[in-house]
Amino acid sequence: MQRPEQDNLTKLESMKEEAFLGGGAKRIEAQHRKGKLTARERIDLLLDEGSFEEFDLLMTGRAGQSSGIGEFPGDGVITGHGTIDGREVFIFSQDFTIVGGALGEAHAQKICKVMDHAVRVGAPIIGLNDSGGARIQEGVESLAAYGEIFHRNVQASGVVPQISCVMGPCAGGAVYSPAITDFTFMVENTSYMFVTGPNVVKTVTHQDITAEELGGAMVHSKKSGVAHFAFPNDILCLREVRRLINYLPSNNRQQAPILDLRDPAERTDPALDYLVPANPNQTYDMKILITSILDGAEFLEIHPHFARNIIVGFGRLGGQTIGLIANQPAVLAGVLDVQSSEKAARFVRFCDAFNIPLVCLEDVPGFMPGPEQEHGGIIRHGAKLLYAFSEATVPRITVIIRKAYGGAYDVMNSKHIGCDMNFAWPAAEIAVLGPKGAAQIIYRKEIEEADNPEEMLARKTEEYRITYANPFMAAKRGFIDDVINPRDTRHRLIRSLQFLENKRTVRPQRKHGNIPL
Amino acid sequence: MFEKILIANRGEIAIRIIRTCRKLNVKTVAVYSDIDARSLHVREADEAVHIGPSPSPSSYLVHEKIINAALAKGCQAVHPGYGFLSENAAFAAAVVKVGLVFIGPSSQVIAELGDKISAKNIAMKAGVPVVLGHNLPIVDIEEIRSLAAEIGYPILLKPAAGGGGRGMRMVATPSDLESALQSAQDETRKAFGDDRIFLERFIVSPRHIEIQIIADQHGNVISLGERECSIQRRYQKVIEESPSLAVDATLRSRMGEMACALAREAGYSNAGTVEFIMDDRKNFFFMEMNTRLQVEHPVTEMVTSLDLVELQLRVAAGEPLPISQEDVSIKGWSIEARICAEDSARNFLPSTGLITRYSNLRGRNIRLDSGVEAGSFISVYYDSLLSKVISWGETREKARTTLINALNRYHVEGVTTNLDFANSILNHPAFIKGELSTGFIDECFEDGEAKIDPPMGQLEAMVLASTTVYHNRKNLVRESLKPMAAKVGLSHKSAQLYRYVVKGNKNIFDVELQGQLSSPDWRVRVNGTEHAVVVPVFEFYRRRLKLSIDGVDQYFRLQYRQNFIWCAHCGISRILEIYTPREWELAQYMPKEKKGASVNVLLSPLPGMVVSILVNKGDRVYRGQDLVVIESMKMECGVSSPCDGVVENVAATIGKAVETDEVLITFTT
Repeated sequence: MQRPEQDNLTKLESMKEEAFLGGGAKRIEAQHRKGKLTARERIDLLLDEGSFEEFDLLMTGRAGQSSGIGEFPGDGVITGHGTIDGREVFIFSQDFTIVGGALGEAHAQKICKVMDHAVRVGAPIIGLNDSGGARIQEGVESLAAYGEIFHRNVQASGVVPQISCVMGPCAGGAVYSPAITDFTFMVENTSYMFVTGPNVVKTVTHQDITAEELGGAMVHSKKSGVAHFAFPNDILCLREVRRLINYLPSNNRQQAPILDLRDPAERTDPALDYLVPANPNQTYDMKILITSILDGAEFLEIHPHFARNIIVGFGRLGGQTIGLIANQPAVLAGVLDVQSSEKAARFVRFCDAFNIPLVCLEDVPGFMPGPEQEHGGIIRHGAKLLYAFSEATVPRITVIIRKAYGGAYDVMNSKHIGCDMNFAWPAAEIAVLGPKGAAQIIYRKEIEEADNPEEMLARKTEEYRITYANPFMAAKRGFIDDVINPRDTRHRLIRSLQFLENKRTVRPQRKHGNIPL
Repeated sequence: MFEKILIANRGEIAIRIIRTCRKLNVKTVAVYSDIDARSLHVREADEAVHIGPSPSPSSYLVHEKIINAALAKGCQAVHPGYGFLSENAAFAAAVVKVGLVFIGPSSQVIAELGDKISAKNIAMKAGVPVVLGHNLPIVDIEEIRSLAAEIGYPILLKPAAGGGGRGMRMVATPSDLESALQSAQDETRKAFGDDRIFLERFIVSPRHIEIQIIADQHGNVISLGERECSIQRRYQKVIEESPSLAVDATLRSRMGEMACALAREAGYSNAGTVEFIMDDRKNFFFMEMNTRLQVEHPVTEMVTSLDLVELQLRVAAGEPLPISQEDVSIKGWSIEARICAEDSARNFLPSTGLITRYSNLRGRNIRLDSGVEAGSFISVYYDSLLSKVISWGETREKARTTLINALNRYHVEGVTTNLDFANSILNHPAFIKGELSTGFIDECFEDGEAKIDPPMGQLEAMVLASTTVYHNRKNLVRESLKPMAAKVGLSHKSAQLYRYVVKGNKNIFDVELQGQLSSPDWRVRVNGTEHAVVVPVFEFYRRRLKLSIDGVDQYFRLQYRQNFIWCAHCGISRILEIYTPREWELAQYMPKEKKGASVNVLLSPLPGMVVSILVNKGDRVYRGQDLVVIESMKMECGVSSPCDGVVENVAATIGKAVETDEVLITFTT
């Protein structure tokens, strides 16, 4: 007769075997046919080889009110922790092969457990979402379960980095968890997110629209901005998550990692002296400057397809992770509008929450004019960016590359709202408004009365340009700390980051501010 | 010798001329247009004069502006370089008229040799063979037979009517003439109802061979050997060499004598080039004479150790040639690659933009004539030649490998260049064997890629280099993050063997690496072949990598592209996808990349006003080419083509406002 523990060992083995098979070979094959990996395969790729430790493999649901649905070991989600390049992260990965990854009570409890662990020990949470939605058979319990997750997402916000990968369907209430997390990744053609699906849209508004058109990866990464990244397949998506994690501290008490790519701090780039075209009406590509100054020319751009008139993302300077915000003159002249203000504001707040210094490269002609923008609330959306910068206590540096006009000058991390160092390139134009517009107002009478108004306007415009549209007025006032040689930008930024390394700012006690949401 | 000269040119040739002037203590004056204000040639010259707006018809081609600049600066002579005004007889005359010296032949000689018919007459008078043909259509077989005998076989029968090669016949021997004529006439009669035929000499596998000469004003003319410039695309030379495999010593002196005779006949002085076309039986025929310094003059300088610009200056200053024909000897071999801002994969479409990274070349037996540096802006206004890389070796093979190695470590970023294309020509088996003809590129290449697969050894070297860099970077990241990892149970085990699977286009490679981060010695196995690799201290911002593989230094250009690595080496460029074995195992399930539905309409990306439209209906366009310029927020912004195709309709109008997503141009793809 077998001893009981041996008996249990055999039993355990078969239980685990069953759990590892998820929804069974057939469903796994179906998942692969769709071009998707299984929940376990995804974990394999995301984490360092052999580092995954699983929780609650044996946990099952209560099978709901109707006992039609069986018990599944693991209840449709795999949870646990493991390492990415040696650092611990917590992870949950929904298993679409088990009742379509539907979220029930036990499933949610497992997710909540890893989230609690993550917050307690200060490690990032990565969710791999692939779920048909709430497990309807469990009724209100599954709604309660969603609420528990959302609440934890909010509690963890600003404490540990939270990343969501939407790698399958994510519909209804489920979308709000990724929406709250810091970064959302999507996979083209296999994932979609919407509050109400195409069928409901059809019933309510009689519009015919596919899931891809309604909430596919490209829609959310280009139009709505819901997704920060979109990748062609699971493998590339998970690789990028690993890359992102390497820029971030594990929690808000840590400094961001220092990663030495052996790029000399003194490296200069003579090409930068020629970056800004002589003609102020010509554009250039801000990305040239970005890749030139950053360590190893490596830049991880966030929201690369959304509101492209502003560029945000992570890079490193002298090994230090920095959050970079740059106007993009090559798109809409780099103007600030509703979408770009929101995009940048959220990024600034993330960096501030996680001790990541901010570097702002400024070339902004102003805010986008027009009824569409005004009626769309450019005032309150622009205010978000102003608020986010003003509130940030991390080291903050601005380099004015060319234009810094009007209110946009103040908003883009100016000295007046608390930036630590403000540099300008010799081509900088810092003024209330552009030379032509300014001349039209200041010299209206003279221009109207002139024999040749056109010529007078041109003359006065030039006069204004020489007097005001330069960095020297601001430098005289001390608003600009130094006018620098473009080729030295990298070195000057690194030197500033060095002296700002131990910057401490004490803010008055308050519960929280009231950012104009 | 002159004290000061004006250089009526820009780019690499202006800088090349300045170099010799410095050596001879001649002061230089550069000229520049608006866009060239910050160019390298302006800074290199002793003085510089602004001569107007960027388009060359308003600046570099305006005779008065250049002559006035020369007078104002007190120059004694004008060097025209090549292109622009270098073969402009009126300009040469105008220069002389104000009392300056034109560094080149006389205005009259330029005019005579510039005219195809009078040049041909001069050549015939000098006894130089020319391509014979008959410019009257004929039908009569006897007449054709006698004419064919006069022209020489093989001949080409060309129907007077029609086109597209229909009815064309090559006739190799007189015995084939009658039947070929019969079938040519039959075909063209059926197709066009016309059986008249033109006759001309047929050149089998034509090679472009040219002779460099230099003549002084005292009647001395000498030849400086030949250059072979058969490798051409769209009638533009890409690779040039001296000497040529097709020319031996006897032929060289015969061709040289012919070229000198022609120059004497024309009353030529200064440097010039007589271009010949040569068939597979080494018959050569005069094509034209270039009355200027050629782009490819450096290969002649490398094998003769002469400075052609110096000789030009001396001759123009009235000095007799310091050397005679007996002093000229050809030593070794030299090859030149022209590096242009163009996209070889897109029908050599010019590429514009800021050069963001540039690495100068140095090295034994390497010469770089460059007109650009980091920060140079390549505009639409001038030709796309950026620089020329020239090598020298005792043998052709040595010169070739030296040039390949140089191109492997020459890096230009910001504009698309033909660097890899030029390098792939040098690596092509047909080039190695010297099987050259003017049809070389069309025969051996398609869309900028060689029609044959690249050698596996070179691909494997690229895979080896990329994977080694990739792995080292990954390790470095891990090391950097160590202080932030858990200290509990810290393990010191380090794997001895790292495996990767690398995909580059259609090739898959198995790679195994063995080594320590702290040591430069690695053993790397690619598809089972083990190599000893000595790695340098990687600096990941660099684009160039020197790696010792099995004791041989090899150069690569590489760049991180998000999670993959782009690598170029020996004319091959690939994005190498480096996977872990587990990733590769799962990659089989990934959806095949869908070709996005082809977009055949150009929409305005922003509201603004159309300021210019750069194409017309029916134009062939390529993805990424700027087609329309829109002004918005007081900024001009180019809108580029979303596809390769032909312009079907231009909906935009200059001066008209457009909204976001308004249709600008439609295409047929």
